[in-house]
Amino acid sequence: MAMRFGSVSKVAAAGMASALAVAACGGDDAGSSGNGGSEARGDQPVELRFAWWGSEGRNEITQEAIDRFEEKNPGITIRGEYIEWGGYWDRLATTTAANDAPDIMAQEERFLREYASRGALLDLSGYTDTIDFSQLDPLVMGSGEVDGGLYGIPTGVNAYAVHADPQAFADAGVHMPDDTSWTWQDYIDITTQISEATGGDVFGAQDYGGNEAGLNIFARQRGESLYTEDGELGFSAGTAAEWWENSLAMRDSGGTPSATLSAEIQDVGSPEQTLLGTNRAAMMWNWSNALEAMSKASGRDLVLLRPPGETENARTGLFLKPAMHYSISARTEHPEEAALFLDFLLNDDEAVDAIGSDRGLPVNLEQRERIAPELNEYQTIEAEFLSDIAPDVVDAPPAPPVGAGEFVDIIKRINVEVLFDRLTTQEGAERLISEVEAAIG
Amino acid sequence: MADAVRESPVTTLDERPAPARPKRQRSSLAKREGRAAYLFLAPWFVGMGLITIGPILGSLYLSFTQYSLLQPPEWIGLDNFQRMLEDERLHAALRVTFTYVFVSVPLQLALALALAFFLDKGVRGLTIYRSVYYLPSLLGSSVAIAILWRQIFGTEGLINQLLALVGIQGQGWVSHPDHALSTLIVLNVWTFGSPMVIFLAGLRQIPTMYYEAADVDGASGFTKFWRITIPLLTPIIFFNLVLQIIGSFQTFTQAFIVSGGTGGPADSTLFYTLYVYQRGFGSFEMGYASALAWFLLVVIAGFTAINFLAAKRWVHYGD
Repeated sequence: MAMRFGSVSKVAAAGMASALAVAACGGDDAGSSGNGGSEARGDQPVELRFAWWGSEGRNEITQEAIDRFEEKNPGITIRGEYIEWGGYWDRLATTTAANDAPDIMAQEERFLREYASRGALLDLSGYTDTIDFSQLDPLVMGSGEVDGGLYGIPTGVNAYAVHADPQAFADAGVHMPDDTSWTWQDYIDITTQISEATGGDVFGAQDYGGNEAGLNIFARQRGESLYTEDGELGFSAGTAAEWWENSLAMRDSGGTPSATLSAEIQDVGSPEQTLLGTNRAAMMWNWSNALEAMSKASGRDLVLLRPPGETENARTGLFLKPAMHYSISARTEHPEEAALFLDFLLNDDEAVDAIGSDRGLPVNLEQRERIAPELNEYQTIEAEFLSDIAPDVVDAPPAPPVGAGEFVDIIKRINVEVLFDRLTTQEGAERLISEVEAAIG
Repeated sequence: MADAVRESPVTTLDERPAPARPKRQRSSLAKREGRAAYLFLAPWFVGMGLITIGPILGSLYLSFTQYSLLQPPEWIGLDNFQRMLEDERLHAALRVTFTYVFVSVPLQLALALALAFFLDKGVRGLTIYRSVYYLPSLLGSSVAIAILWRQIFGTEGLINQLLALVGIQGQGWVSHPDHALSTLIVLNVWTFGSPMVIFLAGLRQIPTMYYEAADVDGASGFTKFWRITIPLLTPIIFFNLVLQIIGSFQTFTQAFIVSGGTGGPADSTLFYTLYVYQRGFGSFEMGYASALAWFLLVVIAGFTAINFLAAKRWVHYGD
């Protein structure tokens, strides 16, 4: 036995040796890049890390903004890191725990409170000298406040809507709906007609059952909401059950894909992998600021539709939401420089020109007005959609409680159980409520 | 194994009778060599202490606390362990993990042994086959293969395209709650290379004289395999069994990638380690995650102990 272990330990030794070699290379690398950095002018070169989620397209325009910033501030280097939505939060949590959080990060309202209340984010209210707040839209600035401090600055305004591909409708010979008055039954019928007309090559819509924001709209149409003002759950099991009954009606009619395909694409984050993005579906629920990315992925001129059922129940469900927030890590070594970069992203012409409305229409009112004539076709559609719906938006949903970030995983998991008939819609609804209640404690 | 412990080579060396003078010389030389050895071992000890033992003890402490990563841990006694009794997702994770271990390990070892047996029969180009079969072992736990797996077994993946050629309507293997775990079991069985190589080495060590004697007695091929090969191979089988069981309990990468980190569809690939990860890094419950990790340690230690106890009944060490 001892002898046989010998060969194993040799392999292990070889492994160790190569690991050491790799480590040695790593050390070399770090050294040379350090030298490169010191060539930059200025007293002390500063390198900042900036992390966000999103697609390749967002990366390009963000990198463009970073380049402009570096030209203006030769002593500061910004290293961009991007990853799709799901991986982003895993990585952010891991790096934050390891005390290695990016200096500047994209945040989101469901996670902002979690990070801020645990001391991971810098209170930006003390940086009024560096960041010019004067032009930032006061209607959404409140969303970055937690316990009296300002921990995130909204990047822009957003709404959840149905992205539709008019060409797919035309190919299927189905008329585009009148989105100011369509009902949920219309939605189910239309998806079914499209799938039938194309023989299942193009689905009416991608499954929506695991969509938290969509459920929020559905609940708001019934006078409920995901969360109450006190941070409790605000919807009934009946509402969630009905939500899934609609979903199953489309699964069974063929309007949405089979359970297996829906389960498979439910977690894909990038527009290029969605059914709408690959011209395999005519509709998909998504945030309005994703219109450009979705259109480019699909190669079609997509349009934004209001969700169905806005006029058939108690009230409308649509709401406006900050697309995302910019935050600074509480542990950054260079808060001043990081704040300088935020000021650039929010207020500088060049940054706004580069990023456009990709992170929602600019939160800086002056900039929003300035770029309005220069918006491209997608951004114009988005801006018009937002100003169109604004009068019909009843109120803003209450801020999500700590733990709300888990909602999306829970609803997706239960959605799969429902799609596969492993839970009835009523059981799924009850499970959803009990699990979310446990998560938000 | 037991024999090896009882008479380790070091003690035999020291006890060897030698003339008084040279012995003193040698022992001072041995001391110097010993010091040099410790010097060379020092990096390992430091690494072991800092990277392995330190964090392990740290997590033992954390398992009795509530710890959200961003705030200091708060002592809550046995609450985490109590919570494990009622945690339904944990129970789902245990079911998934046990199914995986008990199905994939025997299948993998059987396949490894079968292939090693045939390769040992003197196949031409043995080194090539050995390398080819070993390759999956190197790749199997990599992210790339897991992504590939997701594609191959997807609703519109390679498997279904092949099935479509023969007129069978396939389904999404990785996205169906009833089949997702099977694809991961297949993935694990596919990485049979490393136990196979160890089996192959073991087969090479069985003296041919036993087979020759059996031939003289007119034993059949099956009898020779069952009465000679298997008994003499039991130490190797045991070694592989212990390693593979421990490894399978700790499966993470494949499940993480194939399910996109969710353990889905519907928790059907929620491996224990994946659940620990979700609790720790998804929900910021490091205390509970540490408690879960310690429970896994106890389970693995338990199975290893059972293995060693049972081994007394079925493992034969030649001499």
